[in-house]
Amino acid sequence: MKKLHFEYRMKLAFDHPVRQHRFTLRCVPISNERQQIHVFDTDVYPKEFLSADMDSFGNYCIYGYSEGQHDHFSVSVTGTAKTGLSSFETAPEDYQLGLFRYQTECTRPGPCIRTFHERFSFPDETESIDRAIAYMEALYREFQYVQGVTGISTTAEEALNLGKGVCQDYSHILLSLCRLDRIPCRYVVGMLLGEGLSHAWVEVCSNGRWIALDPTNNLIVDDRHIKISSGRDYKDCTINQGLFVGQTTQTQTIHVSVTESWEGENNYDKDCCGSRASR
Amino acid sequence: MIPSGFPRIKFGIYKNNEFREQLFPFDAIPRVIEQDQFRYLEKGLKQRVMALNLFIRDIYGDKKIIRDKVVPEEFIFASSGYLAQCEGVMPPKGIYAHIAGIDLVQGKDHQWYILEDNLRVPSGASYPMIARELCRRSSPLTFQQNHIEDNRNYAKLLRNTMDYVNTGGHTVILTPGRYNAAYFEHSYLAEKTGAHLVTGSELVVENDHLYFVDYSGKRERVGAVYRRISDEYLDPMTFNRESLIGIPHIYDIYRKGNVALLNAPGNGVADDKGIYYFVPKMIRYYLGEEPILKNAPTYLPFYKEDMAYVLENFDNLVLKDVAEAGGYGVVFGSRMTAQEKERFLTLLKAEPRRFIAQEVIDFLDIDIMDEGNMVPRKADLRAFVLMGEEPVVWKSGLTRFSRNPDSFIVNSSQGGGFKDTWVLSQ
Repeated sequence: MKKLHFEYRMKLAFDHPVRQHRFTLRCVPISNERQQIHVFDTDVYPKEFLSADMDSFGNYCIYGYSEGQHDHFSVSVTGTAKTGLSSFETAPEDYQLGLFRYQTECTRPGPCIRTFHERFSFPDETESIDRAIAYMEALYREFQYVQGVTGISTTAEEALNLGKGVCQDYSHILLSLCRLDRIPCRYVVGMLLGEGLSHAWVEVCSNGRWIALDPTNNLIVDDRHIKISSGRDYKDCTINQGLFVGQTTQTQTIHVSVTESWEGENNYDKDCCGSRASR
Repeated sequence: MIPSGFPRIKFGIYKNNEFREQLFPFDAIPRVIEQDQFRYLEKGLKQRVMALNLFIRDIYGDKKIIRDKVVPEEFIFASSGYLAQCEGVMPPKGIYAHIAGIDLVQGKDHQWYILEDNLRVPSGASYPMIARELCRRSSPLTFQQNHIEDNRNYAKLLRNTMDYVNTGGHTVILTPGRYNAAYFEHSYLAEKTGAHLVTGSELVVENDHLYFVDYSGKRERVGAVYRRISDEYLDPMTFNRESLIGIPHIYDIYRKGNVALLNAPGNGVADDKGIYYFVPKMIRYYLGEEPILKNAPTYLPFYKEDMAYVLENFDNLVLKDVAEAGGYGVVFGSRMTAQEKERFLTLLKAEPRRFIAQEVIDFLDIDIMDEGNMVPRKADLRAFVLMGEEPVVWKSGLTRFSRNPDSFIVNSSQGGGFKDTWVLSQ
């Protein structure tokens, strides 16, 4: 278990002012079995009208509207998170998980993913999580982490074909591979201990439990990750989605900082450092 | 808008990025349905729409029908009509399919068969309304001397349906605009129901409610939107991000129960051609009743036994691509060349989930006037079921016919025409 302090800051700068700006933000983490969240402050600019609700995936959404002209849009969220409270989240009954078992536009496999997938053969009784880990390990070995070669609309197939990409691509490819086996799995957006950008990983449902795998780092998620949202793919978890009137060039800067905080309660709970052992 | 005397009814078609306006030919010989026939249809249609509504509620909620293995989950979650964004969202009064357009045909054996359910934005009700209006004007006596159900109450039924779910405020009909295929109908229904006809740019979400903004900038609350735009264009913040005709954040306030959308988003999960096969099972599952109206005998190549049957009887079957609508993606086994057949069978074996196969129903022909001669043609009937506190079947319907003597395809987008449908009142 860890106690973490987090800060999420995003700024969108416009070189010409925009107006009639509508936005939906999914950037506020919420408590679940694995993590307990305490949000100190959420600040959105401009915020003429703000509201909030949970979406169909249980993600906390802030949505709003700003009529007047503004030359930037920013959001910041700060708070603390107790992480690693459990090694999994309890999943609903299997018959309710269908939506996570089928490919989406982002994950739909093509020849590259199918060829990759065909290399594996597992005994029938192999647990979903063990298949997923085998895919993750192979992907980690063969896929290169390179920034700037893929974009937000790159599909799993395109990324694997390219052989390189970022956390979003690792996650989409792993989802695609798992879904070829009809394993329910979901895309997760969150923050990782340290400084940088937001992060993405995958949760795989195995034996009624959502177990989180971070394919970019080839690890089973323990207590260094703070989950913000989850869905079928990247699109369900878009952190900031907006629509405005104005002819402008926009520059986005994101800064995420997660540090271990105060009391230093670092005694590892055995249950949390390896979900394979705790299954 | 309507020149007196001759019905010039138009609709537009977009194909290959080209817009064409086309006449929808009206045939003056009415289709007559006797009272007891219609009573039977009415009972069966109500039953069917009740079950479909329960199905949609179940799919976006408990999913019991999947748990009990009545419908395999791939027919839900791999279907383009299923929208994950609708999970857990309960529309006002729990109604999803407010206006259902159920297509039926009558066989030579006089048996009625359901051909297809339309639960998204079924169109066509305005055509029989206007046809009746014109016929009454040209021959008032016909309607005095014969016992024909008055179908001019559709506007009232529609208004009741909209009012029943209205969450407080105005009722509007949302149109994509005058280039839409059914714009004539949107404006006609607005005029007849007294609802405002609006485009997306006239509606705005503020403070968790929907407002109509008039020319002076004044805002008035809207509680029900009969939207004639498809799910994906409804809200760019939730569905297709490129949509310019939608209303940003309307879906968020709908989720909160602050506006009613007719029909509810996500209904496509229930009117997919693949799901059609399961509707009789749904009726038994949710209502514990035997289906009153029959489906056309249908096979799902998804099931091994059905695939075997389809391959064996290919030439007697009609095959439909579940993803297509409007009469597209429909092929007759008997009319394919050897090469076409081979290509099709390869596709069928690769993607069995994508197709359904049906026995070709020998339609009962009905007469139309073709350049002064009475000739028999294939026709179907779109019945309209409106769901308020109770389902109501409109005592009329849209009879569409094929103008081509060799064709079974009656869709207006493929050159079909229409007739008035008389339901006898005694």
